[in-house]
Amino acid sequence: MAKATTAGPAPQRVSLLRVLGPAHVWALGVGIVLVGEYTGWNFAADKGGALAALIICWVVGLLYTSVAMIDSEVTSTVAAAGGQYAQAKHIVGPLMAFNVALYLVFAYTMLEVSNAILVADTIKSYAGEGFGDWHYRGVIATVIVVLAALNYRGVLMTLNVNFVITAFAYLAIIVLFFSVQPWSQGTVLKLGEMVTPDNALPYGWIGVIAAFHWGIWYYLGIEGTTQAAEEVRSPSRALPYGTMAGMITLLIGASLTWYVCASLLPWQYLGFTYFPLLDAGKVTGSPFLETLMFTATILAGIASANGCINDAARAFFSLGRDRYLPTWFSAVHPKYRTPYRSIVFLVPIALAFAFIANLGQAITFSILSGVLHYTFMSVNIIMFRNKWPLGTIRRGYTHPFHPIPAVVLFILCVVTFFAIFLGYGAQLTAMVIFYIIMSLWFHFYRYQYVRRGDQFTMPWPKPKGY
Amino acid sequence: MWIIIANIGWAVSAALAAWMVYDWFQTDSSYAEETLTSSREGEIEAVQEKHKV
Amino acid sequence: MAKYTPPEQSKEMQWVDVIFVVVAIFAALWLPLQAGWAGAARSIEKIENPTWEALKQTPAQVEQWVKLGIADAAAAHDIIQNKFDYTIDWLQLVIMTVVIVGYFVFLFKASDQEYREVIDEKFNGK
Repeated sequence: MAKATTAGPAPQRVSLLRVLGPAHVWALGVGIVLVGEYTGWNFAADKGGALAALIICWVVGLLYTSVAMIDSEVTSTVAAAGGQYAQAKHIVGPLMAFNVALYLVFAYTMLEVSNAILVADTIKSYAGEGFGDWHYRGVIATVIVVLAALNYRGVLMTLNVNFVITAFAYLAIIVLFFSVQPWSQGTVLKLGEMVTPDNALPYGWIGVIAAFHWGIWYYLGIEGTTQAAEEVRSPSRALPYGTMAGMITLLIGASLTWYVCASLLPWQYLGFTYFPLLDAGKVTGSPFLETLMFTATILAGIASANGCINDAARAFFSLGRDRYLPTWFSAVHPKYRTPYRSIVFLVPIALAFAFIANLGQAITFSILSGVLHYTFMSVNIIMFRNKWPLGTIRRGYTHPFHPIPAVVLFILCVVTFFAIFLGYGAQLTAMVIFYIIMSLWFHFYRYQYVRRGDQFTMPWPKPKGY
Repeated sequence: MWIIIANIGWAVSAALAAWMVYDWFQTDSSYAEETLTSSREGEIEAVQEKHKV
Repeated sequence: MAKYTPPEQSKEMQWVDVIFVVVAIFAALWLPLQAGWAGAARSIEKIENPTWEALKQTPAQVEQWVKLGIADAAAAHDIIQNKFDYTIDWLQLVIMTVVIVGYFVFLFKASDQEYREVIDEKFNGK
């Protein structure tokens, strides 16, 4: 039988520390995602025009609202580090869990890499002469190593820091919005002249579909809140609350961002720049706003990288704990109570990619892993409701309108695969082949080292149909 | 200014990286491997929170 | 059903597994880059001696371009005329669909097979 149920007067165990509240969950989720407002979402304008960027802001917002609802239900019931990984293990099966953990590690590590590059690029664009490769890499190294050390040192401080800098970056968007007199078009904002019937959808509706690819970047990572499940004081309450609050925050932030940027920047430039909000601040002509957006861009990148290190390490840690990877990774620091080996192990990998990979590719890998992950979630929730119908186990939160969110999510995932195919098809296929190879490796070789019954740790009754 | 900050960044990164590695070896050598990897999934849910249907 | 006891894995083999994972990760990112698969299918539609009018920019847009440090139409040309090609390559679409669908089918089937063992051992194997 599983060791979990024999606990009690068992020998002392070192586990992760339960110290977080809903505000930390919000800071983890929004912190990871908010950088998407500062860079990335605007490439949707590149793929489909400014209006397409607005349409997908809301349609993809719907996708993520489904994600948040589904996630809240499953996570408030399966509260374990690794989040969706532990969900997959209990609901679909070990191979799926292994893949989900890989999606998570990839999505977050590549996002962390993108963030470090973004911070370095932002600084470089202001640093002037003499700021060479050495300095550029110094910034990247600082972001990755300092944040890893913060994560190593303890989760509470990590997420307190994230709360402060995320709140700052979010308030900066609101300050920018109110400084440009959004109530009177024509004064500063000139939406009517930037987005005209002629250029609103330059590629027509296929461009809107294609824009889904980058639309994901508006919200990618909000599902990362679940990684904190073993560290929040009350998972069944804090996780749904923090995730939903985060989603509302982001929907508002994304809409404001679009409105300001589309009203200030020609759409081709919007689709080209790496710093849409910073550029918007710049063209207002106000040094205060420019400095504010410069600072906020850097802080958003740091907050996101910080959250990503936290999440990627939790997912890697869980893989080790179930022997999907060597158990060595599942060590918890006895003093700081963090998965310290996983944190340190991922540092050189992140550094290597940040030094040599290109930003677009890192982001695309991250997005693709995210979409594979959401596809899994839509099927997962249906299997969850079938194996344990309502009333058979205690759920912290039950999402309404089932199965509509699952179906909506699935359809939008299919559309997004097609969107990535438009323009990035070969890369998409190559990455799925990578996941296939990893799956074969796991199923036919690695799984022999895994204890079977021990993987199921929830105190639930037997699933229906088995 | 940013050049100085970047150079300080290198130094700080190197110092923190060294600290992490030092602390890591320190920890590994002063605790048994069984203790370090003793965390179990779902344990807290099973022990501390009452599971009612 | 008897409880499955996994073989002990030696320390060396654990490292081999870790190295395999790391190498696979790097390969997945490098191969597309090396093979030239990475990045977008797009190209610049060239306009000789571009003017702001030829690039279809409104006066308000031109004003913003200048504020952004892009002073004339020639400098903006490459940004504006860099267009995506959304003609669908059906062969590639079919290949991609087969790969993704095949992946998920294998994933769910193999997972289900493993899951039944887990449930058997956990609930029926007592």
